[in-house]
Amino acid sequence: MKSPIQLLIIGSLAITVAVLAPTPARARTWTSVDGKPLQAIFLGIEGTNYKFKLQNGNEVLVPKDKFVKADQEAAERLAKIGDDSFVKASARQIDLLLATTLKKNGFNSFNAPLPDDLFVRRVYLDITGRIPTREEFLAFAESARPDKREALIDELLLSPGYSSHLFNYFADMFRLHASDFQNGVRMDPYINWWREQLQNNKPYHQIVSDMILAKGNVGQNPASGFLLRDTGMEFDAFSNFGQVMLGIDISCAQCHDHPFDEWTQGDFYEMAAFFGNTQRSLAYRGDSMMGAGSIQMPNAPDGWKDNFMKWAEANKGIVPRDQNSNQFRFFVNALGWNVADNEALQTVLPHDFIGDGGKPGEVANPRTLIGAAAKLGGKTRREALVDWLSAPDNPRFALVIANRMWGRAFGRAIVEPVNDFSDEEIKQSSQVEALAFVTREMRRVNYDLREFMRILYNTRAYQSIATQEEPDLSKAYYFQGPVLRRMRAEQAWDSMMVLAHGAEIDQKKGGDGSFYKKILDVDFNSATNDDVWRHYEMWQNLRGGGATMAMVSEGDEYTPVFVNDSELRASELSQPAPGASMLDTFGQSDRRITDQHNYDGSVPQVLALMNGNVTQQLTGASSKVVSDLEELDGPDDKVRGVFFTLLNRFPSKEELDLGVGMIEDFGDEGISDLAWALMNSPEFLYIQ
Amino acid sequence: MHIAELAGKDSLSRRYFMEMTAKLSFGLSLSVPFLPRNFKAQDGGKAKNLIYIYLSGGMTHLDTFDPKKNKDVMGATEILDTNVDNMKFGMHLKELAKLGDKIGVINSMISTNGAHEQGEYIMRTGYSKRATIVHPTVGPWAETLLGKRGEILPDSVLIGQSTSNAGFMDPSLSPLPIADPSGGVPNTQLIVEGERFDRRMQMAQKLGQQFVDKFKYTGPKSYVEYYNQANRLLKSDALSAFDISNESNRADYGENRLGQGCLLARKLVENGVRVVEVVAGGWDMHQDIATGTADRLPELDQALATLIKDLDSRGLLDSTLIALGTEFGRTPDINMNAGRDHYPAAYSCILAGGGIKGGTVYGETDGMGKKVKANPVKPEDFLATIGYGLGLDLDETIYSPTQRPFTFADKGQPVTALFS
Repeated sequence: MKSPIQLLIIGSLAITVAVLAPTPARARTWTSVDGKPLQAIFLGIEGTNYKFKLQNGNEVLVPKDKFVKADQEAAERLAKIGDDSFVKASARQIDLLLATTLKKNGFNSFNAPLPDDLFVRRVYLDITGRIPTREEFLAFAESARPDKREALIDELLLSPGYSSHLFNYFADMFRLHASDFQNGVRMDPYINWWREQLQNNKPYHQIVSDMILAKGNVGQNPASGFLLRDTGMEFDAFSNFGQVMLGIDISCAQCHDHPFDEWTQGDFYEMAAFFGNTQRSLAYRGDSMMGAGSIQMPNAPDGWKDNFMKWAEANKGIVPRDQNSNQFRFFVNALGWNVADNEALQTVLPHDFIGDGGKPGEVANPRTLIGAAAKLGGKTRREALVDWLSAPDNPRFALVIANRMWGRAFGRAIVEPVNDFSDEEIKQSSQVEALAFVTREMRRVNYDLREFMRILYNTRAYQSIATQEEPDLSKAYYFQGPVLRRMRAEQAWDSMMVLAHGAEIDQKKGGDGSFYKKILDVDFNSATNDDVWRHYEMWQNLRGGGATMAMVSEGDEYTPVFVNDSELRASELSQPAPGASMLDTFGQSDRRITDQHNYDGSVPQVLALMNGNVTQQLTGASSKVVSDLEELDGPDDKVRGVFFTLLNRFPSKEELDLGVGMIEDFGDEGISDLAWALMNSPEFLYIQ
Repeated sequence: MHIAELAGKDSLSRRYFMEMTAKLSFGLSLSVPFLPRNFKAQDGGKAKNLIYIYLSGGMTHLDTFDPKKNKDVMGATEILDTNVDNMKFGMHLKELAKLGDKIGVINSMISTNGAHEQGEYIMRTGYSKRATIVHPTVGPWAETLLGKRGEILPDSVLIGQSTSNAGFMDPSLSPLPIADPSGGVPNTQLIVEGERFDRRMQMAQKLGQQFVDKFKYTGPKSYVEYYNQANRLLKSDALSAFDISNESNRADYGENRLGQGCLLARKLVENGVRVVEVVAGGWDMHQDIATGTADRLPELDQALATLIKDLDSRGLLDSTLIALGTEFGRTPDINMNAGRDHYPAAYSCILAGGGIKGGTVYGETDGMGKKVKANPVKPEDFLATIGYGLGLDLDETIYSPTQRPFTFADKGQPVTALFS
């Protein structure tokens, strides 16, 4: 864990550049059982002691039992996620910046503070991607801890639901798709790599850097999936890179000078040239799908592929055009679906180049189109690009991800749309100082997204009731609170899953692609032909596995296990969700282009809520809601129980009376009718 | 008012107008030329409905609509005469051969896409697949250009796939996907019936009202509307349009997905749905083409012939355009696995009904079925031909939310010679 003091020093350095970097005005005050205060930053637990750093820089150990119970609880929490002095200072700073601008624009202050019941539902949905269970709701509602809000935020940020929900966001942004290619090449290892990066809270700039620098196939290096994703559409891939990493949509400039923006067609190809000698190989070329065999396999000794094919023919009776050898060729092609640097490759301006800055057929040399020039000196083009992206003076990279994460918390980003905005739009954004501040914070926390979100969730702005009037997208919004949001498809799905299966669903794993990863993980320089052949035998076990199933391996390394269970959280399913699922109905991106999730309603969605499987289970003949509430006595408690289960809030007096009336008139049927009604009121799908 | 209306159809004035608009709005000139296509949209448009049967995987052209005398390229397939002199089919298409006078064949399809996904994409949208935008299929285009037709039923339905989208157009224009033609619309089986269902609906409305009133957002209000629509749908007879279980001629269409899909398409069109796509797989015959065609072609023959006859007997053939498309043909050379590989350089598609001049064979390949000899038709041309048949204004520019301009089927030219 990074020492907070070290952070403080980095923070102080930043002050010389930017006056608004956070300094914790004071660290948390700890209280001993005999009432004495200790102002210090908490460093962790050592045996039976707590370790602190005092304001003078000294480190001290103090026995746990010297502290009051509330502080002991806080210490247990902070030991897992780190001291929160900086988090709170930073959150206060954001609130200050927002409030100042709010006042300038005629607002008294933030929206009213969010009541506890709405808070618990919102943080469960925002952080873990699902509604809380009735038990989780009650645990919070009944807790008397003074720090229960920050404690819940921290607990949820450390829970498996956090990375699951964040995965859904990146799956949309990075267009994670399990089977996008010809020749049966699958991306499951790459997709699972994303899951692992988020579970391990890997800093975002390192995730990006691993993807851009990746070499090999998805078995050798799953991060290579990022570059393999758009094989054959390299310039489109670069357009996506611009949108996702820089918040600039320059796709127009692929074919002509950008009509409204400053980019020329030449700019496009010069920037794209950073990937100009990146080879994504054995790409489909030409008219026959079988015609790609003679291309040199990257990351393998010369002639490796031909030699192996010949060996297989001589020793295993594989004839390249044999009836049974299609699978063999698919296997060899999949091995070769590979990222490599190839100095012989160049970015060449296309034959129909009509823009400024070049002529058809000319070579485009790498040049960054914004900010300081990337320095190649001795580095590969991709290394130079990565260094340029995460350099402290890059004008876009940190801002883009900070702005996106802000949008996740508030339902609207400071500059929209998050994948295409100009420098002018940044300057004119409603909360430009807050944006500059959180951009610096993103760098200060070293792209630790969990710590960054922890700051946002601790702001007063976030913990306000949602703005009741829909903000006009074309007008400035000053963040007096979050906006009302419909659940993402994955939130709706995961909430259904938790209603049907309880909180245990968070622990349940789907296929991780590891068997497939193992098949493709061949070191061509050291493997014998027999070794590679054994991988082919594993590959044959995949046949009949079906395209939508995922793979896990268990025990014997040569045995695939096919997970064909759809009762999983959205992030654990094959990506994107297999067709006809509720996820698709509710707007999950099909991952063809970036940021495609949509929040519109539809008749099929409503039908799924009215008559779908989960509704049937909860409110049908053997109603799960009725049996779950059996332990409760009296209609009042049962009505509250239904509200806690579905909407996670207390019913109003009117609602209580209505529900009680239903139970008095119709008994258990009334309970499941009430549950059905709550699931089918628009409130269920919204995060307020 | 649409730009096309403002600009009129005259090419010079339209181009001028486009550039003026660009200059007025952005202070610069658009460097993408948009030239109008050389026909008048109002010449087509006899078709009010479209049934687009899409054979996914790449239908062999030699064994179906473009057979050759050369035995080397034909393998086991023999030539069959149709009821039209110059129109020949492969031997499995026995029923369709009796309907040659109702069919227009294009034997000069040519594509640059040898991969399934890219090939299918352009055949169904008229645009090359890109990783930065998704183009709409015919249904959303027709609804945009012609206006919404139905009140309860959707304007377009996609049979045989479980997901659909409207590309860059409004998601409300997405075709309703019906994965299994015999399965109907998902989630329409009520959990509780009668009075108890009504009670649930009323209570949901009552409990939801406070929330809808509290937040002045369009989203929650739209859900109230969707609940009303769903309720109307569940209580109307409209759902029966998706139920083919009691159709008397189910067996005539063939008890397979393609056949049942065509039957459902007919029923939907009859009930007012404008565009129905029927997608069926199983055409990627890399191995043993003789067995593959013996399996698939009789199904296709039966389904399509029954569809043509069924629409005809119901007086719907003139107003319903039937299109049969695929992403590419298959190699004239039979490979070592006795199969045929992908072949985009020459393939066949057909059209029927909806103003098509029956008995027409358009375009021609050489004696081996290898090269297009005359009148090449690109995927976007095929789509433009469909649009022409439906009376879509092919010059009308529609802008994506990112302000990129699009016209139906890109710059494709309709094959007007196929229309009577």
